[in-house]
Amino acid sequence: MSQRSTPADISFNLTVGLIAGIAILILVAPVLIVIATSFTTTQALRFPPPGLSLRWYGELFDPVRSAPIHTAALNSLWVAGWATVIGSVLSVLAALAITRVSRPSARALEASFLSPLVLPTLSYGLAALMFFSVLGIRPSLNLLIAGHLVVIAPFVFRTTLASLTQLDPALLEASANLGASRFYSFRRITLPLITPGIAAGAFLAFIASMDNVPVSLFLSTARTSMLPIRMWGMMESTLDVRIAAIAGVLIVAILVLMVVMDRFTGLTRRVSA
Amino acid sequence: MASQHTATAQAAQPLTLDGVTHSYGTGFAVDNVTLEVKGGELVALLGPSGCGKTTLLRIVAGFISQTNGKVIIGDRPIDVLPPNRREIGIVFQNYALFPHMTVAENIAYGLAARGESRAVQAERVAEMLATVRMEGFADRKPRQLSGGQQQRVALARALAIRPRILLLDEPFAALDKNLRLDMQIEIKRLQRQFALTAIMVTHDQDEAMSIADRIAVMSHGKIEQLGSPVEIYDEPATLFVNNFIGSSNLLKGRVVAVGPDGYRVELDSGAVWTLASKGRFETGAAVLVSVRPEQMVLADEAAPDRLPVALKLSLPIGGALIHDATAAGGEDIKIAVPRRPGALSTGPGTAFAALAPHARPSLFPATSS
Repeated sequence: MSQRSTPADISFNLTVGLIAGIAILILVAPVLIVIATSFTTTQALRFPPPGLSLRWYGELFDPVRSAPIHTAALNSLWVAGWATVIGSVLSVLAALAITRVSRPSARALEASFLSPLVLPTLSYGLAALMFFSVLGIRPSLNLLIAGHLVVIAPFVFRTTLASLTQLDPALLEASANLGASRFYSFRRITLPLITPGIAAGAFLAFIASMDNVPVSLFLSTARTSMLPIRMWGMMESTLDVRIAAIAGVLIVAILVLMVVMDRFTGLTRRVSA
Repeated sequence: MASQHTATAQAAQPLTLDGVTHSYGTGFAVDNVTLEVKGGELVALLGPSGCGKTTLLRIVAGFISQTNGKVIIGDRPIDVLPPNRREIGIVFQNYALFPHMTVAENIAYGLAARGESRAVQAERVAEMLATVRMEGFADRKPRQLSGGQQQRVALARALAIRPRILLLDEPFAALDKNLRLDMQIEIKRLQRQFALTAIMVTHDQDEAMSIADRIAVMSHGKIEQLGSPVEIYDEPATLFVNNFIGSSNLLKGRVVAVGPDGYRVELDSGAVWTLASKGRFETGAAVLVSVRPEQMVLADEAAPDRLPVALKLSLPIGGALIHDATAAGGEDIKIAVPRRPGALSTGPGTAFAALAPHARPSLFPATSS
């Protein structure tokens, strides 16, 4: 930059830099602390760790002693996976339908599809529990999938709708003009062009389900325990260092997934847009 | 040209618009338009934005269902056909190339949609790439191409389905000025080679003039005048066409006599001209005389058929010297005279403007606007 910075510029840059620095510290420091703690040699969930070892990771992956954690993790993955798949299909269909209807009704529908995002999830969890007991449906993983579905589908709906509204209508006209049926146009033009949006939303939805506490709190039982609930339970009873190890595994897994997603879909661009 | 022989010779089909009307709510976007485009002919729909030309194009393509009237290709009405069964090629304004597909996939799209075999697709893609001289670009993505290259691909994609009709929507609007002429020649060449009946929508009169066989000047959903570029320029039927095409000087006057060789018109600025016109005017009628700048000349001495003008500015533009002047009647007029080599701009002064020997001014009733 050839322009000279004025004192005002410098103080502005300093302030912005300072605020950004504090924000990064608050966001990143806890993550670093929990990861560091997970490598401790001692029994205590304490920072800084007196020594470093993989002891607690060994403990975490022990198939016998950590069996309940493994069950909870598999339950969480199962629920998150199915809720994401079903939620994505439904959201894509809803978004496609909404882009075809007239403006005022589209607005109303859009708001109602997005309402789970603003609804207090805790209230929803309680309501769902009562609703399902009135219906006489017993708690199960399927029930958890249904419960999670409601709160995570809006993520996919939102990103898909954004992709669809950005789609140039001339492309679909060109496709029709070249002889393509509606379905052919959807398969070869619409779907490939909105896939990054769907994937970005599905990624967010999957993560939202993985660490959802409020809904799982009400809908899970001892037999259908979910990972965050199990972690909370361990925290309350034993202060087990394996909790830090679980956190470490989750953080690394999600970071890896995010890098992969970003490669394919430009996730960061979509979420920040 | 090798590709000249590979193109299947097919009889070009005429395209007829029969009383096509389209209304939005209360207004007419297209108002009872009847137009016959002959087989192999290129007709330009020319007009300002909002004149209905784009709506008309979209009706032919099938993207809009007209309120009334028929669109006929050959002798078959196509109004009942959805866009994907009309077999009409379109070059969209911003080309609408599929961004996630390569050039080859874009060109093959129409054939793939028809379920043609991969071999047929590959053969046609190669032929089309050769036709638009883009052989080396098959595996590029549209965003890796320049504007002109994208347009060639858009043309190749439209022509790959062997359409009966070609529609061009503002085809040169997105191109650099110096590329336009090349692409105009290219489109004209391909339209001839494939014997296509074509409609081009444009707001640019130069584009329309340069490649259209006939021009339909549109205003407020109606065709104001349909004719060859020369007719439109030399004999504008209405004042709107006169003002929209080229530049012209409008001089107020009054018909003082009707003779065998035309109307005798006394201009407010003083001169008296005898003018032929297809229009009918009564003696005493107020008229507007339209003269193109290049159909006027300047003289130093007064005469009954010369009007005194005050020269304000003169600009040497290429081979012409454009004088900006004010007539005695108050009208601003421009006079373009051939510039002698070495001659510079002349300063302000008084001169006398007369009609050039070849001049063919147009007469319009003064009340129309």
